[in-house]
Amino acid sequence: MISKFILRGLDGRLTAFLIAALAYVVLIAIGNLFIPEGSFLHVPTYAVSLMGKYLCYALLALSVDLVWGFAGVLSLGHGAFFALGGYAMGMYLMRQIGTRGVYADPTLPDFMVFLNYKELPWFWYGFDMFWFAAIMVVLAPATLAFVFGWLAFRSRVTGVYLSIITQAMTFALLLAFFRNDMGFGGNNGLTDFKDILGFDIQSDGTRMGLFAASALALCLGLIICKAVVASKLGKVLVAVRDAESRTRFLGYRVEHYKLFVWTLSAALAGIAGALYVPQVGIINPGEFAPANSIEMVIWVAVGGRGTLYGPILGAILVNGAKTYFTGAIPEIWLFALGALFVGVTLFLPKGVLGLYGMLRQRFEKTRAPRETKRTADPVSQPSEAE
Amino acid sequence: MKAFIRFSIALLSLFFILGTSQGMAAEDPALKEKISALAEGSYSDRAQAIQSVAATGDDRAVPALEALGEGLLFIVKSDKSVVIGLDEGATVETFDPVTGDSLGSVPSGAVDKIKVNNRLRREIRSALGALTLLSDDPKVRLAAAGAIFKSKDSDSIELLDTAIAKETVESVKLAMQEARAAAVLNSSRDMAEKQAAVALMADRGNQSALAVLLNAKGSAEGPLLVDIDNAIAAIEKSLAIWDLAQNAWYGVSLGSVLLLAAIGLAITFGVMGVINMAHGEMVMLGAYTTFVVQDIIRTSMPGIFDYSLLIALPLAFLVSGIVGIIIERGVIRWLYGRPLETLLATWGIALLLQQTVRSIFGPTNREVGTPDFLAGAFKLGELTITYNRLAIVIFSLLVLAVLMLVLRKTSFGLRMRAVTQNRRMANSMGIKTNWVDAMTFGLGSGIAGIAGVALSQIDNVSPNLGQSYIIDSFLVVVFGGVGNLWGTLVGAMTLGVANKFLEPFAGAVLGKIILLVFIILFIQKRPRGMFALKGRAVES
Amino acid sequence: MKNRIRSLVGAAAVSSMMLVGAAAQAAEDTIKVGILHSLSGTMAISETTLKDAMLMLIDEQNKKGGVLGKKLEAVVVDPASDWPLFAEKARELISVDKVDVVFGCWTSVSRKSVLPVFEELNSILFYPVQYEGEESQRNVFYTGAAPNQQAIPAVDYLADAEGVERWVLAGTDYVYPRTTNKILETYLLDKGVAPEDIMINYTPFGHSDWQTIVSDIKTFGSAGKKTAVVSTINGDANVPFYKELANQGIKAEDIPVVAFSVGEEELAGLDTAPLVGHLAAWNYFMAIDTPENVDFIAKWKAFIGNDKRVTNDPMEAHYIGFNMWVKAVEAAGTTSADSVIDSLVGVAVPNLTGGYSAMMPNHHITKPVLIGEIQADGQFDTVWRTPGLVPGDAWSDFLPGSKDLISDWRKPMSCGNFNTATGKCGGA
Repeated sequence: MISKFILRGLDGRLTAFLIAALAYVVLIAIGNLFIPEGSFLHVPTYAVSLMGKYLCYALLALSVDLVWGFAGVLSLGHGAFFALGGYAMGMYLMRQIGTRGVYADPTLPDFMVFLNYKELPWFWYGFDMFWFAAIMVVLAPATLAFVFGWLAFRSRVTGVYLSIITQAMTFALLLAFFRNDMGFGGNNGLTDFKDILGFDIQSDGTRMGLFAASALALCLGLIICKAVVASKLGKVLVAVRDAESRTRFLGYRVEHYKLFVWTLSAALAGIAGALYVPQVGIINPGEFAPANSIEMVIWVAVGGRGTLYGPILGAILVNGAKTYFTGAIPEIWLFALGALFVGVTLFLPKGVLGLYGMLRQRFEKTRAPRETKRTADPVSQPSEAE
Repeated sequence: MKAFIRFSIALLSLFFILGTSQGMAAEDPALKEKISALAEGSYSDRAQAIQSVAATGDDRAVPALEALGEGLLFIVKSDKSVVIGLDEGATVETFDPVTGDSLGSVPSGAVDKIKVNNRLRREIRSALGALTLLSDDPKVRLAAAGAIFKSKDSDSIELLDTAIAKETVESVKLAMQEARAAAVLNSSRDMAEKQAAVALMADRGNQSALAVLLNAKGSAEGPLLVDIDNAIAAIEKSLAIWDLAQNAWYGVSLGSVLLLAAIGLAITFGVMGVINMAHGEMVMLGAYTTFVVQDIIRTSMPGIFDYSLLIALPLAFLVSGIVGIIIERGVIRWLYGRPLETLLATWGIALLLQQTVRSIFGPTNREVGTPDFLAGAFKLGELTITYNRLAIVIFSLLVLAVLMLVLRKTSFGLRMRAVTQNRRMANSMGIKTNWVDAMTFGLGSGIAGIAGVALSQIDNVSPNLGQSYIIDSFLVVVFGGVGNLWGTLVGAMTLGVANKFLEPFAGAVLGKIILLVFIILFIQKRPRGMFALKGRAVES
Repeated sequence: MKNRIRSLVGAAAVSSMMLVGAAAQAAEDTIKVGILHSLSGTMAISETTLKDAMLMLIDEQNKKGGVLGKKLEAVVVDPASDWPLFAEKARELISVDKVDVVFGCWTSVSRKSVLPVFEELNSILFYPVQYEGEESQRNVFYTGAAPNQQAIPAVDYLADAEGVERWVLAGTDYVYPRTTNKILETYLLDKGVAPEDIMINYTPFGHSDWQTIVSDIKTFGSAGKKTAVVSTINGDANVPFYKELANQGIKAEDIPVVAFSVGEEELAGLDTAPLVGHLAAWNYFMAIDTPENVDFIAKWKAFIGNDKRVTNDPMEAHYIGFNMWVKAVEAAGTTSADSVIDSLVGVAVPNLTGGYSAMMPNHHITKPVLIGEIQADGQFDTVWRTPGLVPGDAWSDFLPGSKDLISDWRKPMSCGNFNTATGKCGGA
């Protein structure tokens, strides 16, 4: 039953993507671990962790596209789910430090020692076990999303109202996590991780492993999203996106469909956050900042909304550009980034993938002018209206 | 700064005139010596020197003390004499500290400024209080009484008695009596006199009276202690009520700031449906316009500095409005019907504007001054109301009213409403919808610019200014109901007042979180805000 | 075919990023100095100045012939006030640009974020800002003030010279104010201040509506005892705070405010006439009249091309740190991190306040502590200074967790958190 569900999404395009991804990971692994430093083909560890970070962003963008591209729910608060997943992982990593912290306290993380905590707060229990943390990585964002979505979709909060209250949600969490009284380390967040599952977090092997895990998570995420989108559920979602009232009048419980995909998306975002934290080495309330969540939406738009592949591309492109520009033109890179956003919305309304489709269509039009009436893939073309 | 110096000169010359008009006896070397002592020794030595100057009761010492407090007293390096000086950059114009006679200009390297710290400033204040209590100017006498009230100097009681006996102005007399009461409570006088003082303080019934009583409580005993306790209880009770009113005022004032920040957005977002993430940057442009205006005025015509905000208002409206029109013509008009994409494009524009301002003006805060008439505060009963906050409250309501008039009573407003309600129909009726769109966006942006002028009075003027208001602005508009200006008003005021009543109990951070959660839940109850637009247009 | 092309686009994009790394390996005839300060985002307001100051110092050094006969080359990146990006950029500077030393960071969180990177890749970071202490890392040199070089002398001054008996500890809710206030609270209670005479208040970042808190301070201050505010309020929130203080008429003579994060740069955005007499505690003021400082200010104004720009304490910290690094490199004869780290300890260079600052074994430096009062022209007038230099204490004696810890990076101890009670080196 489940395999059938999965297989439905597994078309040729996806298979090709998966094979390419696999080959890519293997190549990078060989380049990083086996080819000696100094060789032209050597992949530096710096690049590995950088790409691992991009892949986490790509998974996050994928989760945003699932709700925005296919259910028409524009979330300006997906950073909250990402950060919650990240915090769950960060708490596990903090507990793993043990007596290697600067105060050598066996249970309390450093920040609790100097803020005079006498004992571990209750919500930190269990995070010394990886399986518990792994469950919380999914459960914490999913629960928040479920409660929030259940309230919002049931009351038919839609469109920009929904976007603004998701923003309010992540802003409230931002303020809450900034408070040192919350017990999450305040503004400094969680840092100075030592190891994960017994592996030294700074070794090349672990970094490679995390990179591979991120690639794997991205592939799995893509398979799941593809499967959801290709199922009947996916068709109903597109209907909701394009004409919510009409779908409701046809007898579908719109809020149930939305709630399902919203919660799923939050869980994916949480996983992305959990893989992100050990690779960048810090989780701090800054991840909840509304500006971050807006940026995520922009990755999706740059890549192409409602295409699943587009957001992956968009996240990698925008973040790659950011990495490059902040080093190459540090004084004026914001001009480049700002212009990119304006340019993409004006000239590439369907994102970079859309550009590819457009060029292709034009190319085929000139080659076979009779064959212009191509039926567009109904899934990959989100409507213009809300 | 220049104005400040001029003011000081005026002040000093006033004292010189006073000093001479009193027709004091000939040159008194003892006083000069005492003034010389102000320059030397440790801070405690110099505090004593000030007291000994005050003890002379000689009001010719007033200019020197004033100058010391203002940092205008210098010591000449060559002969260690003390002079009053006006720093003119390269040179210092010097005056005799007692007679006020000009001693000519000296290079600024030849003199050293005599430093003061807060403790010395306090000593100077109470010394001046004692020395000027018998001044001819009732304002000076009132200030003197206030200074003694603060210092609670028990040595001044006799002086106060003399002054009270002579005093003709009722309000000054009252202040002197209160100062006397405070001094009595701080002295070793007998019980009856102290009890009378407590009664007087209880009558005054305000914060500073409470401070005097709390201070006296430590050394009190017997019936006096009972009296003081009763008086304290009574004052605290009445202050608690004033506290409520004060909170309400703070709430209204915060609400008006939110209203100002949100009101332009209520047009661009609320009426036009553009999710305008660059709104905050329009506010920022307004604030920077104010800075530029003030900068020009400071360098070219400092005389009209007090009007700088009035000059900045229309300019800020124009600058932000024109930038808004350019944005609308250049970007947004291609995106109508795709509201969520306007979000992305305007976010990009916001980044561009921020970086532009950062490149032109630098990343640091710029100073926007407050005109004299907006500085300070006044008391309304026990309410402290600062002039700039009051001005912002009035100003925000004024802007809202004018905007409503424009929308309701002008033909432009009529066209604007027509276009937003039914673009095609309006177009068929001969309205140039393109033009109306541009003007509407320009209007919203211009109003944001005006808000920037006002907000520059209370906040940082930095490239990050806009970012700090954008979320709050959207929340206000959505909470109040998109497309409804009344909603924006009620939304802003509700959030402001609620915030200020939560803050004392929950703290600033938790209060804000509670409010955000409240908004999220409220939107569940009323998915289209407090004042939702009704009708079919809503669904589209 | 179409499918394959699409999926390969992503792969190609990522691979192209790697090439950025490969391309940046330049010729080896300069010594590279990394500058890791935010040029955009919320912290740009403070950090951009430090980037410029570093560029000036490097420029000056090159005019003197560089270091070890080589020119210095600055590598500037923008971590954009984004903490994970700080770690990424630090890694890029060290492993891609191959810099020999990095000057950077402002906030504690950015330092915490890059710390593991410097440890892993064994490089050197100079951190120029006053901070909460409770840290001593082999690869980091702290040229800003530790709490005992700022907070405690300031409180002593207020208590002794102004007779303050009642304290408001107001801060932004993050680690620096929390720790500083914890230390001060313990210190004040030890001095015999009653618990009800201490009011602690925290506000969020960028707090702009200070009406309630300022009026609370006013009320707290009118209880008959001399009151002072010790402010650890962070940069951006200060301007509205001081504007509200001025407007509500709180005079320095009545309730002085002593701040640890307000310097000349912050005051440049304010009309300071109503604030005369409020205090700040730093290790440097622009108004200090020494030949070194006059020279430094003149060079700074010339470099930046603006006669109105001010200098501040973190700039002096970079000045000291940079000169220490130059001296240590010349002593070691190499820029290799291990040798420089060893030769830095004990290096003494002139500071701008008329003395010498030395790097101590705990990687903090010795500094004078100055208390200044705000003047109408936006400058500080020094009203008190410590008679000698105060050595920075990495581990506060007033926190229960750290009172037994000491730090000494000299061999054979080589430990940042040695526990004198157990006789063992604490963490890793």
